[in-house]
Amino acid sequence: MVAAKHPVLLVALPLVFAAFCPVLAMWKKSACFPWALAGVSATTFLAWSLIGKVSPRGAVAYNLGGWKPPWGIQIRIDYVGLLMICLVTALGPLLVLYSYRYVQHELKPERVPYYYTLFLLVFTAMIGFTITGDLFNMFVFMEIFSIASYALVAITGAREAVRAAFKYLLMGATSSLTVLLAIAFLYSATGSLNMLDISIRLKTTPYVPVAAVALVLFVAGFSVKAALFPVHVWLPDAHSIAPAPVSALLSALVIKMGVIGLFRAIFTIYGPTFATRSSTWSSLAGVISWLAVASILIGAVLAIIQKDFKVMIAYSSVVHIGYILLGLMVLTQEGTAGGLFDILAHAMGKACFFLVAGIFIYKGERRQLRELRGLGRTMPVTAGAFAIAALSIVGMPPTAGFMAKFYILWGCIQGGRYYFVVLALLGSLLTAVYCFRVVYYLFFTGARMPDARIDEGPATMYIPAALLALGTVFFGVFANLLIPSLNTAARVILAK
Amino acid sequence: MSKGTSSVLPVIVVFTPWLALVGAALWGKARPKLAKAVYVGITAATLCLILPFYARALDGAVTTQRLLGVVSGISLSLRIDTVGFYFAILLAFLWLLATVFSLGYIHERETRYYCFMALNLSFCIGVAFSANMFTLFIFYELMSLCTYPLIIHDETEQARKAGLKYLVYSISAGAVILAGVLLQFFYAGTLNFTGHATLTYADASKPVLLVIFSIYMLGFGVKACIMPLHGWVPDAHPAAPAPASALLSGVILKIGIFGIIRVLFDVFGVKQLRLLGVSLPMLYVASFTIIVGSLFAITQTDLKRRLAYSSVAQVSYIILGLFLLAPDGAIGGLLQVANHAFMKATLFLCSGIIIHETGKRDVRELDGVGSKLPLTMLAFSVAALGMMGVPATAGFITKWELGVGCIQAHRPYFIAVLLISSLLNAVYFLPVIYAAFFKGGPVGGLLKHETKRTMLIPVLITGAFVLILGIFVTVPGLPYSLVEVITKAVF
Amino acid sequence: MNFSRIFHNINYLVSVLLFLVGLYAVTVKPNLIKKLIGLNIMETSVFLLIVSIGMVEGGQAPIVAEGVKASRMVNPIPQALILTGIVVAVSTTAVALSLCIKLYEGYGSLNADEILGAWSPLGSSGGAGPMRLDGPGPDEHRDVP
Repeated sequence: MVAAKHPVLLVALPLVFAAFCPVLAMWKKSACFPWALAGVSATTFLAWSLIGKVSPRGAVAYNLGGWKPPWGIQIRIDYVGLLMICLVTALGPLLVLYSYRYVQHELKPERVPYYYTLFLLVFTAMIGFTITGDLFNMFVFMEIFSIASYALVAITGAREAVRAAFKYLLMGATSSLTVLLAIAFLYSATGSLNMLDISIRLKTTPYVPVAAVALVLFVAGFSVKAALFPVHVWLPDAHSIAPAPVSALLSALVIKMGVIGLFRAIFTIYGPTFATRSSTWSSLAGVISWLAVASILIGAVLAIIQKDFKVMIAYSSVVHIGYILLGLMVLTQEGTAGGLFDILAHAMGKACFFLVAGIFIYKGERRQLRELRGLGRTMPVTAGAFAIAALSIVGMPPTAGFMAKFYILWGCIQGGRYYFVVLALLGSLLTAVYCFRVVYYLFFTGARMPDARIDEGPATMYIPAALLALGTVFFGVFANLLIPSLNTAARVILAK
Repeated sequence: MSKGTSSVLPVIVVFTPWLALVGAALWGKARPKLAKAVYVGITAATLCLILPFYARALDGAVTTQRLLGVVSGISLSLRIDTVGFYFAILLAFLWLLATVFSLGYIHERETRYYCFMALNLSFCIGVAFSANMFTLFIFYELMSLCTYPLIIHDETEQARKAGLKYLVYSISAGAVILAGVLLQFFYAGTLNFTGHATLTYADASKPVLLVIFSIYMLGFGVKACIMPLHGWVPDAHPAAPAPASALLSGVILKIGIFGIIRVLFDVFGVKQLRLLGVSLPMLYVASFTIIVGSLFAITQTDLKRRLAYSSVAQVSYIILGLFLLAPDGAIGGLLQVANHAFMKATLFLCSGIIIHETGKRDVRELDGVGSKLPLTMLAFSVAALGMMGVPATAGFITKWELGVGCIQAHRPYFIAVLLISSLLNAVYFLPVIYAAFFKGGPVGGLLKHETKRTMLIPVLITGAFVLILGIFVTVPGLPYSLVEVITKAVF
Repeated sequence: MNFSRIFHNINYLVSVLLFLVGLYAVTVKPNLIKKLIGLNIMETSVFLLIVSIGMVEGGQAPIVAEGVKASRMVNPIPQALILTGIVVAVSTTAVALSLCIKLYEGYGSLNADEILGAWSPLGSSGGAGPMRLDGPGPDEHRDVP
């Protein structure tokens, strides 16, 4: 297939679509939506054609311009990268489809082309970020999706949105610079920018303290991007104020890029062998896992006390970042596999949450939890999708969230961290409180007589939400499709 | 298991009730009568599909079917063995009666009610047919969630509070069970039910085994309403509509017991539990629950609340019987599963008829109800006498076997618990019966019909079963024959 | 203390110092423009460091020509990186400044304490502070779908 030979197309194609989107808008504004949808779908097709071509042990590599690494930029799709691009490209078309009616409702018409342009840029940069093998290239992609996200958060032009975007920008830019500083330190210690090359050179480098400082900076920088407690403060504002499809994009995918950044730094570049050279590696893993637990518990409590639906969902993302990082940082095969699987589970569940929240805003500006009473009767598909996604977010069988939680907890037990099991289970109880409260409002309260003015909303909006909800069930029931490969991938990662 | 065979039939049985959803989607709004016929028909069909396994269950044969692999070592699998069959047939039968009863009783939000009834049936059968702890946990959680809409069916303030309490208890319990499942898998390396101990001293030290055992008891104890964990029961039962409370008490509490039975027979095994020394503490807990539960029941004035506390007490008979770790004790305990199910279902359904026909639910206002609802109150009286353990009723058989078990286990003083409990049962049931029949009430004279046939017939059937189970104990096909097979395999 | 070693690594020290100066400005200064200046100081510090890494004392431009030894060449990669880095930094600053203009339009102030509210470790929730979720902003109009 084309994509396996030229993985660079995965980045180039949507980038071209993004570049021509404003040009197209000069001719006809309404052409932007089909253009964006076409670009995203074509990328999806390319990315999915890679399924089965990447083994959990190896990677598909491509040298840009024919320059061999470590001199040139290399694109390297390993199994985790494949998982991420499949996830990004799976959600992309659904979100674009959803955006169609939503941005008509929320944005001034002249801003719509910019919306799709920025969306395509975020989409492109996320794919680039996950598949590049070059550290500086990764930084550039990170900056592209970050800057585009700041703009997307502020795109409505409302002053609260601008305020949230600015807050996001201040923390985001600072964290990006921290990452860049880390790259500088690592480059001075190893003289290379290719991640694979660095990981080999780190085994022999005499500048272990410099590399250790770089690792600390990487973790600090990417933690902000991932919204790990206590540097999650930008997230609730930005994610709740952005237009619903943007919230879904940010919560489901963009913060996962922070997780992937941490993953790349800690596992791909440094790897467990670095622990034999410096104690920093293991102590950082310990610190992150405790911060992850703090994220779970504090995020859940903060979510419970919220009255605004989208803010509550935003805090819920902090909780799940906690679960994902807990799984990755207990350093057992099952935990790592569970953490990776939870990236998928959470992305589908949380995207569904935000899309549902968007439908409630679209149909009558319902943002407060108490305004959701009885909507289950008038909007059964939307509310039903929320209920199913809620099962996944809480971690109830038979959804993907449950399988992820099961694996993460199992990883904790395998690693002998029983206290994490107790705390994570406590966290899932708290999660149940805020998720099921909404289900309760939707289905079990409210007027007997449905309000005839409210109905399901446009099909382009509820179908993506319903598909995501079904996806959580599908991957819960057929978790076996992915988990063995993730297990293998995790074993390879941890053996490095 | 040499006699084990594989078959897709268990899968079909578990998922048959889902057809009710199809029925609801097709006819729920347009043709409600047809939809209701579909609900009842599907419940009956499920029962019929379970029946053919009787012969195999009696042989102690096992039917298994693997659905999906989950993890190496864990899969979603179904397995019909004697215990599973016993629970499944019992709950499917009661479900049919309760569904028929609902036709007359439920007038609002019918589609939601019947759909969740059907889903719940599916998941309860799933629990009974689980081949390993993982599958059991999954069905157990689903069952827990699907019970919630039944409890808050009326959507009154009281029902909401009860529902919330129920959710808090059961989701916490679910988390605890999950921790148990993970620990068991970590130490034993398998979660499969094989009919003998799978987690032994060879796998883990005694403190670890005790911790896992306690975690399971805490988790399943919530549904089985062991005393400090029973908090949701007295709120949820009165709040739910009568057929749902009958099922809550008759079946769903028993599903908690079923979990305990699996832990007892298939995880730890009887011999090992003797070594672990958990028998006596559990007996004390059960005795405490029996007596304190009965005392609480006396103080209640709401009829359904009184019945709920009575359930708390009666279900602990089963735990008492099981943890005697003696064959006759286990027989008594397992018989109590069916006996109590029929007795309590009768009582709850009768209370439903009383509430439906007279609107009264305070026990002090039931004077003369017997003359208005003679057949209903007759069934009520039979079941109440059964609760007290009067000979020729099902309750007597339970108590007799439990008594024998106490002696077998060399713990005869627990017979005193049974006797005190009978006495307390008499204290809270006899005044109701007396008032219903012998106190002149405001309503006199026979009415032409006492209630709808769809409600009366299920009550009469369950009432009759209280007597049948008390008189024709050893007739093949009744619980005793199955229970005997189960206990023989274990001891 | 080995002063010669510190002197040898003076580029690291200076850039980290600059980075911290910038971080101080970003976190402490209430004026949004000053925050952005802080951000730019941070950027500059990192660029300085990266360029200084490639520096070779008495080195020559990395152009292959007669009499130029590869070992005496200045490493060109950091300079190439910094070019990209500067572009990225400029775009960030541009976006930030345009957000500043919008903020000034919306709030009539550039004071972070007035606009962003208090920075608490738990973050200001969506409902706190001057946030408003129930209506359109002053410069926002909604198109009826």
